[in-house]
Amino acid sequence: MKNISGFLTKNRGILIFFAVMLLLPFLVGLIEGSSPALIWSNQGSISKFVEGLGIEIFVLALFALSFDLLFGITGLLSFGHAMFFAVAAYLTGIALKTLSMPFGGVVLLVLLAAIVQALLFSLVLPRVKGITFTLVSLGLASVFHIIVMSSDMINLTGADVGLQGVPVPAFISPVTERLRFYAIALTLLVATYLFYRRFVASPTGRVCVAIRENEDRAKMLGYNTTIFKVVAMIISSLTASAAGMLHALYQPIISPSVADLGYTVTGLLIVLIGGVGTLSGAIVGAFVLRLLDFTLRRFIGESASFITGAIYVIFVLFVPYGVVGTMRLRQLSTKSGWQRLAGLLNPKK
Amino acid sequence: MKTNLRKNSKAIIVLTVIAVFLFVAARGMSGKDVLITVLRGFSIGSVTFLVAAGFSLIFGLLDVLNLAQGTLYMIGAYVGWTVYVRPDTFVDLLTPILLILAGFAFSALWGRLAGLVKLAPKPRKTIAWLLILVGFGLLAVVLTRYPIAKWDLDVYTESPITYSYMADQGMRIIPAEVAFDRISPFLALAGLLLTSAISAFGIALLNRDENRSKSITWRKLLVPGILLLVGILAAVFNSRITSWMFNMSTNLLFVIAILIAVLSGVGLGALMETTLIRPLYNRPIYQLMLTLGLGTIGLQIVQAVWGRPEFVFPKPEFFIGTGGACPATNIRDLFANHCSTILLLGGRVRVYDEIFIPIVGIIVLILVWILLKRSRIGMIIRAGVQDRQMVEALGINVRRVFTLVFALGVGLAAFGGALAASSSGLTPTMGERLLLSALIALAIGGLTSFPGAALGSLLVGLIQQFMIKYGQIGIPLPFTDAVFKPSPPLVPASTVLLMVVVLLILPHGLLGTKE
Repeated sequence: MKNISGFLTKNRGILIFFAVMLLLPFLVGLIEGSSPALIWSNQGSISKFVEGLGIEIFVLALFALSFDLLFGITGLLSFGHAMFFAVAAYLTGIALKTLSMPFGGVVLLVLLAAIVQALLFSLVLPRVKGITFTLVSLGLASVFHIIVMSSDMINLTGADVGLQGVPVPAFISPVTERLRFYAIALTLLVATYLFYRRFVASPTGRVCVAIRENEDRAKMLGYNTTIFKVVAMIISSLTASAAGMLHALYQPIISPSVADLGYTVTGLLIVLIGGVGTLSGAIVGAFVLRLLDFTLRRFIGESASFITGAIYVIFVLFVPYGVVGTMRLRQLSTKSGWQRLAGLLNPKK
Repeated sequence: MKTNLRKNSKAIIVLTVIAVFLFVAARGMSGKDVLITVLRGFSIGSVTFLVAAGFSLIFGLLDVLNLAQGTLYMIGAYVGWTVYVRPDTFVDLLTPILLILAGFAFSALWGRLAGLVKLAPKPRKTIAWLLILVGFGLLAVVLTRYPIAKWDLDVYTESPITYSYMADQGMRIIPAEVAFDRISPFLALAGLLLTSAISAFGIALLNRDENRSKSITWRKLLVPGILLLVGILAAVFNSRITSWMFNMSTNLLFVIAILIAVLSGVGLGALMETTLIRPLYNRPIYQLMLTLGLGTIGLQIVQAVWGRPEFVFPKPEFFIGTGGACPATNIRDLFANHCSTILLLGGRVRVYDEIFIPIVGIIVLILVWILLKRSRIGMIIRAGVQDRQMVEALGINVRRVFTLVFALGVGLAAFGGALAASSSGLTPTMGERLLLSALIALAIGGLTSFPGAALGSLLVGLIQQFMIKYGQIGIPLPFTDAVFKPSPPLVPASTVLLMVVVLLILPHGLLGTKE
């Protein structure tokens, strides 16, 4: 009993988030004027739209979480992270469309591919460090991007148009069963976040943080740092693959742009907005970025991506700890500020 | 000698293996194919080298991996194109840019004036920010009303594609002049100078404590004075300069275009280093992310200004002669007829793409090498690559050298862009592609090694070209009749593979040294 209550208080924030997000479609439905029963049977149009936006945010957040584990926690800056995402997305698409595999088999295949990729990246891990690792990962990922874009495999990947017409299994079809899809994506995100927090608090996770801070010292203490990096890489790759799979199932087209450097930069941007190494920053950042992008695109149009770039530069220069990181730093002063304000309002006390 | 060999045994073995591979690859082709492929490899290698050299200089001294280098390469190409195809736009732009620069360059004067202001820090800072905001706001107003000849991306006949196509055909469209109708000329010039002066004074007020001791000398006022004078002259003689540039020989115009491209690269580099990179010197990973973001922003700007479609950069007169004695068979014919191609070993070699670019690449290599090895600044750079703290401790102003090296590196990239644009055309994706090649070349050669950058670029260029050539003729597989044709995606993939293999054997690259 004590364990459960401890778990609840420790993860209060994310559990409240989970509950609110689960109820959100129904709340939107109430505002829209459609009853919860209608929402339950996927009828309300605005709430369906909100669910769609939510799914996109959850996929981005999942991807950014995996990037944060690698970059923010373990200190490995990989510019090829989008490859994990893209391989899973394309594999899901091809397995469902061309090979018409059963859905369980597809999931297994994607997870297997994720582990294989992580091991491929790990092959170079013991030899190259720092910037050189960044370059090698960029190189590997761009080879994948080039292969996807090439016209030789147009039947499989659709080249630069993208992979279209993936037959999604009926029970999670984003058209007819969007609420279920939304709930699954949300649950996956929350579960992954909880697992990540547990991982970072575990002895293995602590060593990963030590590697980020000072790898030589961690080595001197007798840890085989390569193994820990590989573990972090595998977990991160699995998460990114799950995100990629959701992306492939939700989006009507799998565009090859998910495989290029720009998509990794999106992940980096989200982590940066939220706060590097904070984990919850990835979720906050995904919300901020997607909603900002959505509004800007609606009111400004094409130059929205320019503004996104400018925001990125501003964050790098002036808000290096991101939203969550800065809030954590300011927490004490904010608390005392509130207390002072309360004291002013209540002078008798 | 012996210890040297033993120390570098791995690098020598790897190099030998690559050389043997290339030799075997060359044996499978006819003589003229080998020649053309090798020349093309040198050409691609030279362009890659121009970008990679800047990379390696910047990374070696400043520890900044400038990922915006690809975009700056592209900006160099587009700026060169603008000067070459639309000199009127360039002349129109010259005045505002020079006047704004002059306004900021009178910094010694502003610093002295700011020293006279007696105010408490807080109101002083408020006033300074206010001045900066007002200055930039008014500047924006003046700039939007300043007449600048533009192309129109939406109208096909006025798009960059049409202009460059017509110039390529030798029929230049001379666009109509834009008149001062939304602002009077005097107000425009005075406004540009004054608004930039107000913002510069605001900045000087903000940093008053840092540059209090500076005195005004005539030399400090000379440079901004010249900028001011040239800017005003350009405004007064605008139409004359424009028609002179439209009518001059395209060879000269080409040289001017490349010079302006390099200058704009140097200016952008200096601006980037002093304003954006400098505050982040103690946060290296953030520098990396910043340059990445700047690269994306630059790409967006280029797409917004010049549009997404691909267009050509016409070659100058010297390289487009046809008919008569062309293709030339010897050097004298080549110079007499300005042939576009020359016959070597029975194969047609394009003069600009396959002879001129490699020669320029080699000249730049030698010049930068002399700069590094024989000049005082080069000595400081080499010492800085070895041990930065020690150089600082010896009392050398490393900051200024940093700015210089950054500007030089970016200038080299812009030079490469303007040079390569004539042979490969202009697309918004050209920067990204070259960035990847340059990074691979650098990783192969060794990140901080200048000769390594040259060697890596050459290897990347050669391997790419051999793969492309074998993609056309096919590799006969042993013991079968089947022919294996490497498809285009395998070209970049092969260089990445080489990089991974080299890095697995030598984590510091071929010529890199251990830290």
